[in-house]
Amino acid sequence: MRTGAVYTETVVHLAPTKFAADVPYQVAIVDLDDGERLTARIAGERVAIGDPVIETESHEAIPFFQKS
Amino acid sequence: MDYGRRVAIVGAGKTAFGAFADQDLRSLAVAAGRKALANARMEPGAIEAFYLGNFAGPEFTAQNHLAPWISTSLGMAGIPSTRFEAACASSGAAFSQAFMGVASGIYDAVLVVGVEKMTCQPTARVTEILAGAGDGDTEVRVGSTFPSLFAMIARRHMHDFGTTREHLASVAVKNHENGALNPDAQMRKVITLEQAMNARPIAEPLNLYDCSLISDGAAAVVLCAADRARDFSDKPVQVKGVSQASDFVALDRKKDITTFPALRTAAQKAYEMAGVTAKDIEFAELHDCFTIAEIVAMEDLGFVERGRGGFFSLEGGTRREGAMPINASGGLKSKGHPVGATGVGQLCDIIQQLRCEAGDRQLKRHSLGLAQNLGGSGATCVVTILGRD
Repeated sequence: MRTGAVYTETVVHLAPTKFAADVPYQVAIVDLDDGERLTARIAGERVAIGDPVIETESHEAIPFFQKS
Repeated sequence: MDYGRRVAIVGAGKTAFGAFADQDLRSLAVAAGRKALANARMEPGAIEAFYLGNFAGPEFTAQNHLAPWISTSLGMAGIPSTRFEAACASSGAAFSQAFMGVASGIYDAVLVVGVEKMTCQPTARVTEILAGAGDGDTEVRVGSTFPSLFAMIARRHMHDFGTTREHLASVAVKNHENGALNPDAQMRKVITLEQAMNARPIAEPLNLYDCSLISDGAAAVVLCAADRARDFSDKPVQVKGVSQASDFVALDRKKDITTFPALRTAAQKAYEMAGVTAKDIEFAELHDCFTIAEIVAMEDLGFVERGRGGFFSLEGGTRREGAMPINASGGLKSKGHPVGATGVGQLCDIIQQLRCEAGDRQLKRHSLGLAQNLGGSGATCVVTILGRD
Protein backbone atom coordinates (compact mmCIF):
# COMPACT_ATOMS: atom_id res chain seq x y z
CA MET A 1 0.00 0.00 0.00
CA ARG A 2 1.24 3.49 -0.88
CA THR A 3 2.13 5.88 1.93
CA GLY A 4 2.73 9.62 2.13
CA ALA A 5 1.88 12.87 3.89
CA VAL A 6 -0.98 15.34 3.45
CA TYR A 7 0.09 18.39 1.38
CA THR A 8 -3.33 20.06 1.62
CA GLU A 9 -6.94 19.07 2.27
CA THR A 10 -10.56 20.17 2.33
CA VAL A 11 -13.92 18.84 3.50
CA VAL A 12 -16.51 19.04 0.72
CA HIS A 13 -20.06 19.99 1.70
CA LEU A 14 -21.54 20.75 -1.73
CA ALA A 15 -20.93 17.99 -4.26
CA PRO A 16 -21.86 17.14 -7.85
CA THR A 17 -24.85 14.80 -8.23
CA LYS A 18 -22.61 11.72 -8.43
CA PHE A 19 -21.11 12.32 -4.97
CA ALA A 20 -24.05 14.09 -3.31
CA ALA A 21 -24.79 11.09 -1.06
CA ASP A 22 -21.23 11.15 0.35
CA VAL A 23 -21.14 14.69 1.82
CA PRO A 24 -19.42 15.80 3.92
CA TYR A 25 -16.27 14.03 2.64
CA GLN A 26 -12.59 14.89 2.80
CA VAL A 27 -10.35 15.29 -0.26
CA ALA A 28 -6.59 15.70 0.04
CA ILE A 29 -3.54 16.13 -2.12
CA VAL A 30 -1.04 13.57 -0.82
CA ASP A 31 2.74 13.77 -1.24
CA LEU A 32 3.62 10.12 -1.75
CA ASP A 33 6.88 8.78 -0.37
CA ASP A 34 8.04 8.00 -3.94
CA GLY A 35 7.91 11.73 -4.77
CA GLU A 36 4.64 11.63 -6.73
CA ARG A 37 1.63 13.71 -5.77
CA LEU A 38 -1.94 12.43 -5.85
CA THR A 39 -5.48 13.73 -5.25
CA ALA A 40 -7.35 11.23 -3.07
CA ARG A 41 -10.31 10.75 -0.77
CA ILE A 42 -9.73 10.38 2.96
CA ALA A 43 -11.43 7.53 4.83
CA GLY A 44 -12.18 7.62 8.54
CA GLU A 45 -10.66 10.23 10.83
CA ARG A 46 -10.10 13.74 9.40
CA VAL A 47 -6.50 14.58 8.48
CA ALA A 48 -4.53 17.87 8.48
CA ILE A 49 -1.52 19.16 6.54
CA GLY A 50 1.56 17.10 7.38
CA ASP A 51 -0.31 14.05 8.70
CA PRO A 52 1.11 10.69 7.56
CA VAL A 53 -1.39 8.66 5.54
CA ILE A 54 -1.59 5.16 4.07
CA GLU A 55 -3.66 3.91 1.15
CA THR A 56 -6.68 1.79 1.97
CA GLU A 57 -8.92 -0.04 -0.47
CA SER A 58 -9.97 1.81 -3.63
CA HIS A 59 -13.64 2.10 -4.51
CA GLU A 60 -14.52 2.31 -8.22
CA ALA A 61 -10.92 3.28 -9.05
CA ILE A 62 -10.96 6.15 -6.55
CA PRO A 63 -7.85 6.10 -4.34
CA PHE A 64 -8.67 6.26 -0.61
CA PHE A 65 -6.12 7.06 2.12
CA GLN A 66 -6.40 7.11 5.90
CA LYS A 67 -4.35 8.41 8.78
CA SER A 68 -1.44 6.07 9.59
CA MET B 1 9.81 43.39 -29.39
CA ASP B 2 7.28 44.49 -32.02
CA TYR B 3 3.70 44.16 -30.80
CA GLY B 4 2.17 45.29 -34.09
CA ARG B 5 -0.29 48.17 -34.52
CA ARG B 6 -1.65 49.93 -31.50
CA VAL B 7 -5.18 48.87 -30.64
CA ALA B 8 -7.99 50.78 -28.94
CA ILE B 9 -11.34 49.85 -27.44
CA VAL B 10 -14.02 52.15 -28.83
CA GLY B 11 -17.16 50.49 -27.54
CA ALA B 12 -18.15 48.60 -24.41
CA GLY B 13 -21.44 47.25 -23.17
CA LYS B 14 -22.82 44.56 -20.94
CA THR B 15 -26.06 43.20 -19.61
CA ALA B 16 -26.76 43.18 -15.90
CA PHE B 17 -25.49 39.97 -14.27
CA GLY B 18 -28.07 37.87 -12.44
CA ALA B 19 -30.68 35.14 -12.85
CA PHE B 20 -32.83 35.95 -15.87
CA ALA B 21 -35.46 33.29 -16.58
CA ASP B 22 -36.72 35.21 -19.64
CA GLN B 23 -33.29 35.51 -21.34
CA ASP B 24 -31.47 32.76 -23.21
CA LEU B 25 -27.77 32.59 -24.10
CA ARG B 26 -28.26 34.21 -27.50
CA SER B 27 -30.48 37.07 -26.35
CA LEU B 28 -27.95 37.96 -23.64
CA ALA B 29 -25.02 37.90 -26.09
CA VAL B 30 -26.94 39.93 -28.68
CA ALA B 31 -27.98 42.53 -26.09
CA ALA B 32 -24.37 43.07 -24.96
CA GLY B 33 -23.07 43.09 -28.55
CA ARG B 34 -25.62 45.74 -29.60
CA LYS B 35 -24.75 47.90 -26.60
CA ALA B 36 -21.04 47.80 -27.45
CA LEU B 37 -21.73 48.62 -31.11
CA ALA B 38 -24.00 51.53 -30.14
CA ASN B 39 -21.34 52.75 -27.72
CA ALA B 40 -18.86 52.74 -30.64
CA ARG B 41 -21.41 54.43 -32.94
CA MET B 42 -20.69 51.54 -35.30
CA GLU B 43 -22.96 49.56 -37.66
CA PRO B 44 -22.70 45.75 -37.58
CA GLY B 45 -21.42 45.87 -41.17
CA ALA B 46 -18.22 47.60 -40.04
CA ILE B 47 -17.17 44.57 -37.96
CA GLU B 48 -14.73 42.28 -39.76
CA ALA B 49 -14.44 39.38 -37.30
CA PHE B 50 -16.42 38.05 -34.33
CA TYR B 51 -14.76 36.49 -31.26
CA LEU B 52 -16.95 34.71 -28.71
CA GLY B 53 -15.85 33.74 -25.21
CA ASN B 54 -18.05 31.02 -23.73
CA PHE B 55 -17.18 28.20 -21.35
CA ALA B 56 -19.98 25.67 -21.44
CA GLY B 57 -22.91 26.83 -23.57
CA PRO B 58 -23.43 23.35 -25.03
CA GLU B 59 -23.55 21.76 -21.53
CA PHE B 60 -25.78 24.45 -20.02
CA THR B 61 -28.15 24.96 -22.95
CA ALA B 62 -27.62 22.06 -25.45
CA GLN B 63 -26.84 24.57 -28.22
CA ASN B 64 -23.48 24.32 -29.98
CA HIS B 65 -21.86 26.20 -32.91
CA LEU B 66 -22.44 29.30 -30.86
CA ALA B 67 -20.33 31.96 -32.56
CA PRO B 68 -22.13 32.13 -35.94
CA TRP B 69 -25.44 31.53 -34.11
CA ILE B 70 -24.83 34.81 -32.32
CA SER B 71 -22.97 36.85 -34.96
CA THR B 72 -25.68 36.28 -37.56
CA SER B 73 -28.26 37.41 -35.00
CA LEU B 74 -26.24 40.61 -34.69
CA GLY B 75 -26.47 41.16 -38.47
CA MET B 76 -22.92 40.03 -39.20
CA ALA B 77 -23.43 37.07 -41.55
CA GLY B 78 -20.33 36.38 -43.60
CA ILE B 79 -17.52 37.32 -41.24
CA PRO B 80 -15.30 34.77 -39.44
CA SER B 81 -17.02 33.89 -36.16
CA THR B 82 -15.26 31.69 -33.62
CA ARG B 83 -15.86 30.54 -30.06
CA PHE B 84 -12.97 30.42 -27.58
CA GLU B 85 -13.12 28.15 -24.54
CA ALA B 86 -10.66 28.52 -21.67
CA ALA B 87 -12.88 27.79 -18.66
CA CYS B 88 -13.54 30.99 -16.69
CA ALA B 89 -10.95 32.81 -18.80
CA SER B 90 -12.85 32.13 -22.05
CA SER B 91 -13.61 35.74 -22.92
CA GLY B 92 -10.18 36.90 -21.74
CA ALA B 93 -8.76 34.43 -24.25
CA ALA B 94 -11.18 35.61 -26.96
CA PHE B 95 -10.16 39.21 -26.28
CA SER B 96 -6.48 38.33 -26.49
CA GLN B 97 -7.02 36.73 -29.93
CA ALA B 98 -9.16 39.66 -31.11
CA PHE B 99 -6.39 42.04 -30.06
CA MET B 100 -3.94 40.11 -32.25
CA GLY B 101 -6.34 40.24 -35.19
CA VAL B 102 -6.28 44.04 -35.11
CA ALA B 103 -2.64 44.48 -34.01
CA SER B 104 -1.51 42.28 -36.91
CA GLY B 105 -3.24 44.57 -39.41
CA ILE B 106 -5.58 41.84 -40.71
CA TYR B 107 -8.70 43.53 -39.29
CA ASP B 108 -9.50 47.17 -38.57
CA ALA B 109 -12.54 46.52 -36.37
CA VAL B 110 -13.66 43.42 -34.46
CA LEU B 111 -16.29 42.54 -31.85
CA VAL B 112 -15.65 40.39 -28.77
CA VAL B 113 -18.56 39.03 -26.77
CA GLY B 114 -18.40 36.92 -23.62
CA VAL B 115 -21.53 35.12 -22.47
CA GLU B 116 -22.76 32.41 -20.11
CA LYS B 117 -26.27 31.20 -19.31
CA MET B 118 -26.03 29.14 -16.09
CA THR B 119 -29.19 29.48 -14.03
CA CYS B 120 -31.17 27.16 -16.32
CA GLN B 121 -29.55 24.20 -14.47
CA PRO B 122 -29.90 23.11 -10.82
CA THR B 123 -26.90 23.83 -8.53
CA ALA B 124 -25.66 20.21 -8.40
CA ARG B 125 -25.56 20.09 -12.21
CA VAL B 126 -23.85 23.52 -12.37
CA THR B 127 -21.21 22.21 -9.95
CA GLU B 128 -20.73 19.20 -12.22
CA ILE B 129 -20.38 21.31 -15.38
CA LEU B 130 -17.92 23.68 -13.69
CA ALA B 131 -15.90 20.67 -12.46
CA GLY B 132 -15.32 19.94 -16.15
CA ALA B 133 -12.69 22.69 -16.06
CA GLY B 134 -10.63 20.47 -13.74
CA ASP B 135 -8.70 17.30 -14.64
CA GLY B 136 -11.28 14.55 -15.08
CA ASP B 137 -8.72 11.74 -14.78
CA THR B 138 -7.28 12.75 -11.43
CA GLU B 139 -9.12 15.36 -9.38
CA VAL B 140 -12.73 15.31 -10.61
CA ARG B 141 -13.02 11.50 -10.40
CA VAL B 142 -12.38 11.52 -6.63
CA GLY B 143 -15.07 14.15 -5.99
CA SER B 144 -13.13 17.42 -6.25
CA THR B 145 -15.31 20.40 -7.03
CA PHE B 146 -14.11 23.88 -7.97
CA PRO B 147 -14.71 25.24 -4.48
CA SER B 148 -12.71 22.27 -3.13
CA LEU B 149 -9.69 23.03 -5.35
CA PHE B 150 -9.58 26.64 -4.17
CA ALA B 151 -10.26 25.45 -0.60
CA MET B 152 -7.10 23.34 -0.82
CA ILE B 153 -5.20 26.39 -2.12
CA ALA B 154 -6.57 28.38 0.83
CA ARG B 155 -5.60 25.70 3.36
CA ARG B 156 -2.03 25.62 2.12
CA HIS B 157 -1.81 29.44 1.89
CA MET B 158 -3.00 29.65 5.52
CA HIS B 159 -0.44 27.03 6.55
CA ASP B 160 2.50 28.64 4.71
CA PHE B 161 1.82 32.35 5.28
CA GLY B 162 -0.48 32.71 8.29
CA THR B 163 -3.45 33.79 6.20
CA THR B 164 -6.61 33.60 8.35
CA ARG B 165 -10.35 33.03 7.98
CA GLU B 166 -10.74 36.70 8.81
CA HIS B 167 -8.47 37.66 5.90
CA LEU B 168 -10.62 35.64 3.49
CA ALA B 169 -13.81 37.17 4.89
CA SER B 170 -12.42 40.70 4.46
CA VAL B 171 -12.26 40.12 0.68
CA ALA B 172 -15.95 39.18 0.58
CA VAL B 173 -17.00 42.09 2.81
CA LYS B 174 -15.13 44.62 0.64
CA ASN B 175 -16.47 43.21 -2.64
CA HIS B 176 -20.05 43.22 -1.34
CA GLU B 177 -19.57 46.81 -0.16
CA ASN B 178 -18.56 47.80 -3.70
CA GLY B 179 -21.18 45.65 -5.42
CA ALA B 180 -23.94 47.23 -3.34
CA LEU B 181 -23.20 50.46 -5.25
CA ASN B 182 -23.22 48.78 -8.67
CA PRO B 183 -26.65 48.89 -10.37
CA ASP B 184 -25.65 45.96 -12.63
CA ALA B 185 -24.50 43.68 -9.79
CA GLN B 186 -26.33 40.47 -8.98
CA MET B 187 -26.09 40.65 -5.20
CA ARG B 188 -26.31 44.26 -4.03
CA LYS B 189 -26.03 43.49 -0.35
CA VAL B 190 -23.61 44.74 2.29
CA ILE B 191 -22.40 41.95 4.60
CA THR B 192 -20.56 42.02 7.93
CA LEU B 193 -17.27 40.29 8.76
CA GLU B 194 -19.19 38.03 11.18
CA GLN B 195 -21.66 37.00 8.47
CA ALA B 196 -18.80 36.32 6.06
CA MET B 197 -16.96 34.20 8.63
CA ASN B 198 -19.90 32.17 9.86
CA ALA B 199 -21.84 31.24 6.73
CA ARG B 200 -22.50 27.58 5.91
CA PRO B 201 -19.45 25.63 4.70
CA ILE B 202 -19.09 24.78 0.99
CA ALA B 203 -15.59 23.26 1.00
CA GLU B 204 -13.68 23.95 4.24
CA PRO B 205 -12.21 26.46 4.94
CA LEU B 206 -14.38 28.19 2.29
CA ASN B 207 -18.01 28.98 3.03
CA LEU B 208 -20.89 30.43 1.05
CA TYR B 209 -19.52 33.99 1.17
CA ASP B 210 -16.11 32.92 -0.15
CA CYS B 211 -17.69 31.70 -3.38
CA SER B 212 -18.75 33.72 -6.41
CA LEU B 213 -22.27 33.44 -7.77
CA ILE B 214 -24.06 31.35 -10.39
CA SER B 215 -25.08 33.89 -13.01
CA ASP B 216 -26.42 34.72 -16.44
CA GLY B 217 -24.91 37.59 -18.33
CA ALA B 218 -22.93 38.90 -21.29
CA ALA B 219 -20.35 41.60 -21.98
CA ALA B 220 -18.88 42.98 -25.19
CA VAL B 221 -16.16 45.29 -26.49
CA VAL B 222 -15.36 46.69 -29.94
CA LEU B 223 -11.66 46.87 -30.83
CA CYS B 224 -10.20 48.95 -33.63
CA ALA B 225 -6.88 50.24 -34.89
CA ALA B 226 -5.85 53.05 -32.54
CA ASP B 227 -5.34 55.56 -35.35
CA ARG B 228 -9.02 55.25 -36.25
CA ALA B 229 -10.34 55.28 -32.67
CA ARG B 230 -11.47 58.92 -32.67
CA ASP B 231 -13.81 58.18 -35.62
CA PHE B 232 -15.86 56.00 -33.27
CA SER B 233 -15.46 57.29 -29.75
CA ASP B 234 -14.79 60.50 -27.84
CA LYS B 235 -13.38 58.36 -25.03
CA PRO B 236 -11.32 55.61 -26.64
CA VAL B 237 -9.33 53.37 -24.33
CA GLN B 238 -5.85 52.12 -25.21
CA VAL B 239 -4.96 48.45 -24.90
CA LYS B 240 -1.51 48.95 -23.38
CA GLY B 241 -0.72 45.32 -22.78
CA VAL B 242 -2.36 41.91 -23.00
CA SER B 243 -0.89 38.50 -22.40
CA GLN B 244 -2.16 34.96 -21.93
CA ALA B 245 -0.31 32.03 -20.34
CA SER B 246 -1.08 28.45 -19.33
CA ASP B 247 -0.23 25.82 -16.73
CA PHE B 248 -1.28 22.30 -15.70
CA VAL B 249 -5.04 21.76 -15.43
CA ALA B 250 -4.67 19.45 -12.40
CA LEU B 251 -3.82 21.20 -9.15
CA ASP B 252 -1.78 18.19 -7.99
CA ARG B 253 0.64 18.63 -10.90
CA LYS B 254 1.79 21.97 -9.50
CA LYS B 255 4.76 22.10 -7.18
CA ASP B 256 3.43 25.01 -5.14
CA ILE B 257 -0.32 25.63 -5.21
CA THR B 258 -0.16 28.97 -3.33
CA THR B 259 0.85 30.80 -6.52
CA PHE B 260 -0.40 30.80 -10.13
CA PRO B 261 2.66 30.57 -12.43
CA ALA B 262 0.52 31.33 -15.51
CA LEU B 263 -0.63 34.54 -13.85
CA ARG B 264 2.95 35.54 -13.07
CA THR B 265 4.03 34.87 -16.66
CA ALA B 266 1.06 36.71 -18.19
CA ALA B 267 1.54 39.67 -15.82
CA GLN B 268 5.24 39.97 -16.54
CA LYS B 269 4.62 40.00 -20.29
CA ALA B 270 1.71 42.44 -20.06
CA TYR B 271 3.76 44.82 -17.90
CA GLU B 272 6.64 44.58 -20.38
CA MET B 273 4.36 45.27 -23.33
CA ALA B 274 2.78 48.27 -21.58
CA GLY B 275 6.18 49.53 -20.41
CA VAL B 276 4.99 49.70 -16.80
CA THR B 277 5.52 47.90 -13.49
CA ALA B 278 3.07 46.79 -10.81
CA LYS B 279 3.64 50.09 -9.01
CA ASP B 280 2.22 52.07 -11.96
CA ILE B 281 -1.13 50.25 -11.89
CA GLU B 282 -3.74 52.45 -10.18
CA PHE B 283 -6.62 50.00 -9.80
CA ALA B 284 -7.52 46.46 -10.81
CA GLU B 285 -10.31 44.00 -11.45
CA LEU B 286 -9.11 40.61 -10.21
CA HIS B 287 -10.66 37.19 -10.72
CA ASP B 288 -12.17 36.56 -7.28
CA CYS B 289 -14.01 33.36 -8.17
CA PHE B 290 -13.18 32.55 -4.53
CA THR B 291 -11.85 34.97 -1.91
CA ILE B 292 -8.48 33.17 -1.80
CA ALA B 293 -8.07 33.73 -5.56
CA GLU B 294 -8.09 37.51 -5.08
CA ILE B 295 -5.45 37.19 -2.36
CA VAL B 296 -3.15 35.00 -4.47
CA ALA B 297 -3.68 37.20 -7.55
CA MET B 298 -2.65 40.42 -5.82
CA GLU B 299 0.53 38.66 -4.70
CA ASP B 300 1.32 37.18 -8.11
CA LEU B 301 0.73 40.55 -9.79
CA GLY B 302 3.30 42.12 -7.45
CA PHE B 303 0.82 44.48 -5.74
CA VAL B 304 1.96 43.06 -2.38
CA GLU B 305 4.72 40.73 -1.23
CA ARG B 306 4.09 37.00 -1.29
CA GLY B 307 1.95 35.88 1.62
CA ARG B 308 0.83 39.41 2.49
CA GLY B 309 -2.37 39.55 0.42
CA GLY B 310 -4.71 38.58 3.25
CA PHE B 311 -3.10 41.03 5.69
CA PHE B 312 -3.28 43.84 3.10
CA SER B 313 -6.94 43.08 2.46
CA LEU B 314 -7.93 43.08 6.16
CA GLU B 315 -6.05 46.37 6.64
CA GLY B 316 -8.27 47.94 3.96
CA GLY B 317 -5.56 48.33 1.29
CA THR B 318 -7.85 47.03 -1.47
CA ARG B 319 -10.91 49.15 -0.64
CA ARG B 320 -11.93 51.99 -2.97
CA GLU B 321 -9.98 54.50 -0.88
CA GLY B 322 -7.07 52.09 -0.25
CA ALA B 323 -3.59 52.10 -1.75
CA MET B 324 -4.62 49.59 -4.47
CA PRO B 325 -8.37 49.49 -5.10
CA ILE B 326 -9.38 45.99 -6.21
CA ASN B 327 -12.75 45.04 -7.66
CA ALA B 328 -14.46 48.40 -7.26
CA SER B 329 -17.18 46.78 -9.40
CA GLY B 330 -18.00 44.28 -6.64
CA GLY B 331 -15.96 41.54 -8.31
CA LEU B 332 -17.23 38.12 -9.28
CA LYS B 333 -18.32 37.74 -5.67
CA SER B 334 -21.02 40.40 -5.69
CA LYS B 335 -21.34 41.47 -9.33
CA GLY B 336 -21.86 37.88 -10.46
CA HIS B 337 -19.81 35.34 -12.42
CA PRO B 338 -21.38 34.24 -15.71
CA VAL B 339 -18.09 32.46 -16.40
CA GLY B 340 -17.73 33.05 -20.15
CA ALA B 341 -18.67 36.72 -19.76
CA THR B 342 -16.36 37.48 -16.85
CA GLY B 343 -13.14 38.39 -18.71
CA VAL B 344 -14.77 40.96 -20.99
CA GLY B 345 -17.01 42.06 -18.11
CA GLN B 346 -13.89 42.99 -16.14
CA LEU B 347 -12.67 45.05 -19.12
CA CYS B 348 -16.02 46.88 -19.22
CA ASP B 349 -15.58 47.72 -15.52
CA ILE B 350 -12.04 49.03 -16.09
CA ILE B 351 -13.26 51.08 -19.07
CA GLN B 352 -16.06 52.58 -16.97
CA GLN B 353 -13.46 53.79 -14.44
CA LEU B 354 -11.09 55.10 -17.14
CA ARG B 355 -13.96 57.04 -18.71
CA CYS B 356 -15.02 58.39 -15.33
CA GLU B 357 -18.47 56.79 -15.67
CA ALA B 358 -18.50 54.62 -12.51
CA GLY B 359 -20.86 56.81 -10.47
CA ASP B 360 -20.67 56.17 -6.72
CA ARG B 361 -17.82 53.71 -7.27
CA GLN B 362 -15.63 56.15 -9.23
CA LEU B 363 -12.02 55.96 -8.06
CA LYS B 364 -9.79 58.99 -7.56
CA ARG B 365 -6.92 57.60 -9.61
CA HIS B 366 -8.25 56.19 -12.85
CA SER B 367 -5.84 56.48 -15.73
CA LEU B 368 -4.24 53.00 -15.75
CA GLY B 369 -6.13 49.82 -14.80
CA LEU B 370 -5.42 46.09 -14.93
CA ALA B 371 -7.77 43.15 -15.43
CA GLN B 372 -6.84 39.57 -14.53
CA ASN B 373 -8.94 36.66 -15.76
CA LEU B 374 -8.27 33.12 -14.48
CA GLY B 375 -9.41 29.80 -15.93
CA GLY B 376 -9.78 26.66 -13.82
CA SER B 377 -7.47 26.50 -10.84
CA GLY B 378 -4.89 28.53 -12.78
CA ALA B 379 -4.42 26.63 -16.05
CA THR B 380 -5.23 29.72 -18.13
CA CYS B 381 -4.57 33.30 -17.20
CA VAL B 382 -5.05 36.50 -19.17
CA VAL B 383 -3.76 39.85 -17.93
CA THR B 384 -4.83 43.05 -19.69
CA ILE B 385 -3.67 46.61 -19.02
CA LEU B 386 -5.88 49.44 -20.23
CA GLY B 387 -5.19 53.15 -20.16
CA ARG B 388 -6.76 56.42 -21.15
CA ASP B 389 -5.96 57.79 -24.59
